[in-house]
Amino acid sequence: MSVRLRQLNALARLSVLELYRRKDLIVVFVLAAVILLPLAFFEPFGVAGASRYMNELALLLVWLFSLVIGLGVSARLFPPEFESRTIYPMLAKPVGRGTILFGKYLGALAASFSALAVFYLAYGLLTGVRQGVWFPPILAQAFVLHAGFLVVVTALGLLGSLVLTPAANLTVCGLLTAGMLSFGQRLPALAAAQPVPGKWVLQAIHWAGPHLEFFDLRQRLVHEWPPVGWGVCAAVSAYAVCYAAACLALAGWALRKKRF
Amino acid sequence: MRQSLHIGLTVSGVVLAMAAGQAIPRAYTDRMPQVAGEDVLAMVLGDVRQILGAAMLDKAEEYFHGGVRDVACERGLGGAHAEHGHEEGGKELSAVPDAWAWLNGKVHVQEDRHIEGESSRELLPWLWAACRVSPQNVQAYESSAFVLESMAKRPHEAVRLLEEGIGKNPASASLEFSLGELLLRSFHEPARAERAFAAAREKCRPADGPEGEKDKLLKVRALFYLGYLAKQRGDLGRAREYLAEAESLDPQNAGTRDLRKFLERK
Repeated sequence: MSVRLRQLNALARLSVLELYRRKDLIVVFVLAAVILLPLAFFEPFGVAGASRYMNELALLLVWLFSLVIGLGVSARLFPPEFESRTIYPMLAKPVGRGTILFGKYLGALAASFSALAVFYLAYGLLTGVRQGVWFPPILAQAFVLHAGFLVVVTALGLLGSLVLTPAANLTVCGLLTAGMLSFGQRLPALAAAQPVPGKWVLQAIHWAGPHLEFFDLRQRLVHEWPPVGWGVCAAVSAYAVCYAAACLALAGWALRKKRF
Repeated sequence: MRQSLHIGLTVSGVVLAMAAGQAIPRAYTDRMPQVAGEDVLAMVLGDVRQILGAAMLDKAEEYFHGGVRDVACERGLGGAHAEHGHEEGGKELSAVPDAWAWLNGKVHVQEDRHIEGESSRELLPWLWAACRVSPQNVQAYESSAFVLESMAKRPHEAVRLLEEGIGKNPASASLEFSLGELLLRSFHEPARAERAFAAAREKCRPADGPEGEKDKLLKVRALFYLGYLAKQRGDLGRAREYLAEAESLDPQNAGTRDLRKFLERK
């Protein structure tokens, strides 16, 4: 058991180190600063004091960058190992395929969470300085649900990296994420408005697709609505864990069947 | 020898390019793809600006409703979007209990809340962007002026903005009318307001048929104000002319009836 834990720990640490070695985080921070700093001094029609647009843009960037980092890290876990054939010595250690998969997933998750924590810390400081509201409870809730989003997205990216080419994986996962965030909430209404084959497809997506919009609390955070109940938060988190578990089970099956 | 040839060719190329850059726009003035004097945004975005402007306006409307999209509500920004289509959330459409729709309903706010008072400044960045991105969007100017005047209590900025909008849309009767109303309501300046209503009346040319109904209504409303202001300054003859014009356009309109009653009063 302890050997398995040590193996998982080593694999996970590698993914985190990889993120910080590539300096992705610094690049996105500089980009965010370049976009947000000029806006911080913006006074439309000479009227100062508007802050929600800044919060919305900052959160949009947080979501975008966390998606880029989460997908980027998870999609890069296996293809380089297959290409450089370093997967052989790893499997020969011996480390089970399941351990490799889960260890790498934990690493991708740890890397994504650490980046997310930095983003939310920066967002909390930004709103604190601008509005004098320091880390309200809904921010913690938004962070928890955003972490749930990453749990699902990294699992999807990992599964995609085993069954698709890297470019196709990033494209499919990116489109799926953007599509579900934009239309996930309206899928039943869209399905109802379609003729039969389209209706079935949309209903299938509604029931089986990853409802990533569950994790999006930006509307409540930006427009100062009260937090959601912690029961709802727990239900959404449970959904994330179940969905990620299903993706990992599929990924495990794909890895077992994979011929190197 | 070869080096001086290279330098000569480079200098000649630069001179030729500069000469062509100067000569081509003069030779083909009417056939150039871009109009001289257009700003960078106009050149880069082209007609996409209209779509972006409308999207910014929708965003402002969403902010007005506390971040909730597609709400069924009669209140909007300046009556601009008087009534919005309400897209069903899906829960009424599904016969089977839908856990995902239930969770969505719990996570995303469903109720409607209007932004008011000092908080109305939160709408301004999007309205500002709508006006700048798409200066031909008359609705953006009207909604922005409404928010500045009625919600943010900044009528001077609202007047400046409407005047800017009129400068960029000289054919718009609607902007002239909005300016007239604003001047009358917030500044009690009948003379300036009358000039704006007269400009609105001049510019408003309703088309025949149902598509001209909106313009006809605007013209009748402008005529109501013109008649009202004419009577206020004692020019009854002029006021009756405006009433006659309004009656010829739409005798059953509330504005026409109100003006008639107002002029019948001693």
